Amino acid sequence: MKKRQVLAKTYLLLVLIILYIPIFYLIYFSFSSGKDMNQFKSFTWAHYQALFQDNRLLAIFLETILLALLSSLIATVIGTMGALAISMVRKKSQQKVLLSLNNVLMVSPDVIIGASFLIFFTALGIGLNFGSVLLSHIAFSIPIVVLMVLPRLNEFDYALVDAARDLGASSYQVFTKVMLPALIPGIATGLFMALTYSLDDFAVTFFVTGNGFSTLSVEIYSRARQGIDLEVNALSTVMFLFVLLLVGIYYFITARKNKKTRKGLGGLIK
Amino acid sequence: MEEQATGASACSYFCKMDIIQLKHINKRYDDGFIALKDINLKIESGKFYSLLGPSGSGKSTILRIIAGFTQPTEGEVWFDGKNITDLDPAKRQINTVFQNYALFPHLNVFENVAFGLKIKKLPLSQIKPKVKDALHMVRLDGYANREISELSGGQQQRVAIARAIVNEPKVLLLDESLSALDKRLRKEMQFELRAIQKKLGITFIFVTHDQEEALSMSDEIFVLNDGKIQQNGSPVDIYDEPINDFVARFIGESNLLPGRMIQDYEVEFANHHFQCADAGMKANEKVEVVIRPEDLDIVAPEKGKLVATAQTQLFLGDHFEIKAIDTDENEWLIHSTNGCQLNERIGLYFDPEDIHVMRQHESQADFDARLESYEGEESNDE
Repeated sequence: MKKRQVLAKTYLLLVLIILYIPIFYLIYFSFSSGKDMNQFKSFTWAHYQALFQDNRLLAIFLETILLALLSSLIATVIGTMGALAISMVRKKSQQKVLLSLNNVLMVSPDVIIGASFLIFFTALGIGLNFGSVLLSHIAFSIPIVVLMVLPRLNEFDYALVDAARDLGASSYQVFTKVMLPALIPGIATGLFMALTYSLDDFAVTFFVTGNGFSTLSVEIYSRARQGIDLEVNALSTVMFLFVLLLVGIYYFITARKNKKTRKGLGGLIK
Repeated sequence: MEEQATGASACSYFCKMDIIQLKHINKRYDDGFIALKDINLKIESGKFYSLLGPSGSGKSTILRIIAGFTQPTEGEVWFDGKNITDLDPAKRQINTVFQNYALFPHLNVFENVAFGLKIKKLPLSQIKPKVKDALHMVRLDGYANREISELSGGQQQRVAIARAIVNEPKVLLLDESLSALDKRLRKEMQFELRAIQKKLGITFIFVTHDQEEALSMSDEIFVLNDGKIQQNGSPVDIYDEPINDFVARFIGESNLLPGRMIQDYEVEFANHHFQCADAGMKANEKVEVVIRPEDLDIVAPEKGKLVATAQTQLFLGDHFEIKAIDTDENEWLIHSTNGCQLNERIGLYFDPEDIHVMRQHESQADFDARLESYEGEESNDE
């Protein structure tokens, strides 16, 4: 029994190491004073200094974050409304069709979505710039938000709506004071997912980005293609840390949420 | 009706008036299900009413129509002399205690109770004492800062009541509000609800499928089945004088037998003729006869009006429940403080007034008139 446990743990550790080694290898060389990743020469912050002096890169970094925030916020609003609309559809069969259409967008390959956006934008004569990237990011984030909010709506107790109306609440007050608080955990998860989807998207952005605008993933890709530059390593490290921070925030929020629901369950059992 | 309306608004606290009237209410759902058929009822101010019926009888639909959550297909809802059929539930001076309480889980006890007052934009300085009073009324002093999830079922029930009564409604609706509680707590809450109603002096309309609950709390009961009001009256009236076999079966336990009126004050059932207290029916009219199990006494066979053989006997603590079969093969349910031996031949004794005779398809008006005529005659005899 114990032997099997040790074996299982070793296996898990091995998998994690294999998954993370490339990233740590990359981070490791971001501190190397050499020109390439063949040999670690000596420790240096030089690549980071170069990174923070690279105005073009800094601008791209800020624009990427702006893009992620904007697209995820707008997608969250639209997606929440979409989830509400789907949950209000009376016929179960129609609801399933709508939900399937939503899920197909989630699982279809980014390349296809990116290509279709490119065709769409050129056909309509929309220029490829920040606007086109924003539109496409909003579009592919909406289904995620819908998927995160809908379960909350399904377990929502509609007697609470009657109760609020009974106590004199208008439709708007019912929504803001009763429904929204119940949906907030789902909406927050949706927002976070949309944020990370936007931050790390490469394929769709690659298609719809024009000359004037680029995101970090696209920039890293094009720089890596030009040849190995350890500044890319430094940039990747910064991005990795940023995502790590986001994950940390996400866990902090969900841990608090879980604590509350557990308390709720306890009350129910009592 | 219009005259009544103007009269009603001038009516003071002491005058009895109809606070709610349902006129010819019909409710048909989209799928064709007919939930209510021509419901007419009057609710007086300051009384405790019960809508009693099995599930699907339409009792909750009536409550939802009074609250305004459901629109009747036809008919009118009048409140305090005004037609409120199309009025939004938010604007009705009626509050509801929901079946599963429907407390807001993200708000604590104080915030739940204060919800309605905050919607009305009352200043906090006025909200605080009102919430405190309401919590005191339901004996939850000191619970204001608790989370809903920390409360027991009984406490949540009390919060739901406090949240409703804090708005000082003229009518409080309670939808199967005690059904989620265990038996002991339910009894306790029955007493408490009645006490709260007396204290506030407002009308309570309580929906339940539990006849014991309805009998013990109400001033008046509406018995519903199949979307129709079967009978209304005081608990004693409904128990002692059920209008038809449904009411007799649904409320309390009863022995129901087909019978025939021979003449006034004489009825035949179980192959015997008996003296009874009922009159005013046609000779040889087919009727149904009810005798309550507790009205049957076990006596020696020669002293009984019927002779039966005891089949089963259960001891239920305060009485025995005996099933016996008479010589005409009818089964009798008997509640008696005296037990008997199994397969023992026993006599069943009952007084003429223990026999309750029901006509087929008798309307409530005819039924009431018939019963009243007996009472008139009784007083003439004295």
